[in-house]
Amino acid sequence: MVLEATMICIDNSEWMRNGDYSPSRFQAQADAVNLICGAKTQSNPENTVGILTMAGKGVRVLATPTPDLGKILACMHGLEMGGEMNIAAGIQVAQLALKHRQNKNQQQRIIVFAGSPVNYDKKMLEMIGKKLKKNSVALDIVDFGEDDDGKSDKLEALLGAVNNNDSSHIVHVPAGQSALSDVLISTPVFTGDGDGGSGFAAAAAAAAVGGASGFDFGVDPNLDPELALALRVSMEEERARQEAAAKRAAEDASRQEKGEEPSSKAEDATMSDANVSAPEENKKITNDGDANALLKQALQMSMNISGSSHSVGDAEMLDTTSEDQELALALQMSMQESTSNPSSQADESKVLEDQSFVSSVLASLPGVDPNDPAVKDILAALQNQSESQQKKSEDEQKKSEDEPSNENK
Amino acid sequence: MSGESASAIHKSQVDLLDFIDWSGVECLNQSSSHSLANALKQGYREDDGLNLESDADEQLLIYLPFTQVIKLHSIAIKGPEEEGPKTVKLFSNKEHMGFINVNDFPPSDTINLSPDNLKGKPVVLKYVKFQNVRSLTIFIEDNQSGSDLTKVQKIVLYGSTVETTDMKGLKKIEDGH
Repeated sequence: MVLEATMICIDNSEWMRNGDYSPSRFQAQADAVNLICGAKTQSNPENTVGILTMAGKGVRVLATPTPDLGKILACMHGLEMGGEMNIAAGIQVAQLALKHRQNKNQQQRIIVFAGSPVNYDKKMLEMIGKKLKKNSVALDIVDFGEDDDGKSDKLEALLGAVNNNDSSHIVHVPAGQSALSDVLISTPVFTGDGDGGSGFAAAAAAAAVGGASGFDFGVDPNLDPELALALRVSMEEERARQEAAAKRAAEDASRQEKGEEPSSKAEDATMSDANVSAPEENKKITNDGDANALLKQALQMSMNISGSSHSVGDAEMLDTTSEDQELALALQMSMQESTSNPSSQADESKVLEDQSFVSSVLASLPGVDPNDPAVKDILAALQNQSESQQKKSEDEQKKSEDEPSNENK
Repeated sequence: MSGESASAIHKSQVDLLDFIDWSGVECLNQSSSHSLANALKQGYREDDGLNLESDADEQLLIYLPFTQVIKLHSIAIKGPEEEGPKTVKLFSNKEHMGFINVNDFPPSDTINLSPDNLKGKPVVLKYVKFQNVRSLTIFIEDNQSGSDLTKVQKIVLYGSTVETTDMKGLKKIEDGH
């Protein structure tokens, strides 16, 4: 939160056309400049930032130190590349611009982007550095782009002459995968001198790194709450699904002889429902450990989603163990493609013949239209395969429907 | 007034240390380990081991604002023989000067420190130029030996304040003349 007036010296020489930084050196530089301006103005509302170009026809001040971020971003438009960078003149003009800042209480800082070769000798640069130090101007140097012999040494010498109590920094950015701005975000150029940096800088850094240190999914909940929520929900669902799959594998191994596969499959069926509360239900189910209670809960889950009128009737049907297995398997069938238990397959076909039940379940599946002729054909084929079994289940259904109707009276 | 010996301080002149506004004090080109406080502050300035030192070169620019308007009578600068200051320019009421524009204005006064002065003898200034001083800028241009390092042990300002109403001396006006 240091009160600061900053002058940014941009290199717009011919060397900036090179594409070793994507998309081009100049564009990478412009992005970095925009980010720095934002960070500076956010860290303290009274901070001012100014821009000047060092190449072209000569050193030209595009914007004198101003707190208006919009003006700064606007003057970054339409910049042309050409000529050679004049670093000494650029720094001196920047120093003059800072001297005439309106608020004399601001600390003075110059940020130089040195992308092209430096023509001045070390002595000259050291003298400039000394002059800056004498006038208590801090200097940040971004060494990128051309890397001819001596450029790094010269810039280091300049930094050494200017540096007073570590208020000045130099950053060497080699060409490569990561963008110039990303590399700069983690440096003191962006974060300031050990203040801890501004919230802006920290958030930008988190977003850039991919959310490892900042937000969970690389999306700032402040910027996009719906997206962050959707990502979080889907992450939880996936986690729950994986947990259920792991549990199922464990339970299959341990409980296979007890024939409690239907219960585990029922759990699995509920897991695959698109419902965040499903994992919590699942945990409840496993804690109970009672097969009937498990099935009851599982069925209630599925019934809530399918919204069929059978909900009460089906709950009643739990009394008969054969019904338990059929319905549980029905759930599993409706939600999942493959079944590993051969004995359950015969039961599955029975349940499929319960047309209304199946169609209601199918309706709950995304992308499946029960009125689709193809789906209808399949169902008809399944029904024809075992009519006797269908009759038997219908009788049982009538019996159970009588019961709730009696209760309602 | 003319009979006043150089070493005596005029009776009504006080040490203006109390009237310095410390929040606005600035010193350009000072070394971070040897700062202005070593030369100005009570206790530090008496210690000859603690100096104000210059950093990049031999010049120093000290800016002292005051809490009220003062008249400046004389100044005492103490320093070592070799690295003590030689030419000192004083500017009154000029804010935020830098090394670049320090030679653009004529100084209110220029003093050349002799080795005697460096032992602590105050230098009398052109009093008429310092009648209404809100801030003082001290520009140390070079030092005795011409080296790159200037050391100052003590800076004391002598003068008086402009409004000097002694409240204790005021008597209440009685009613009924």
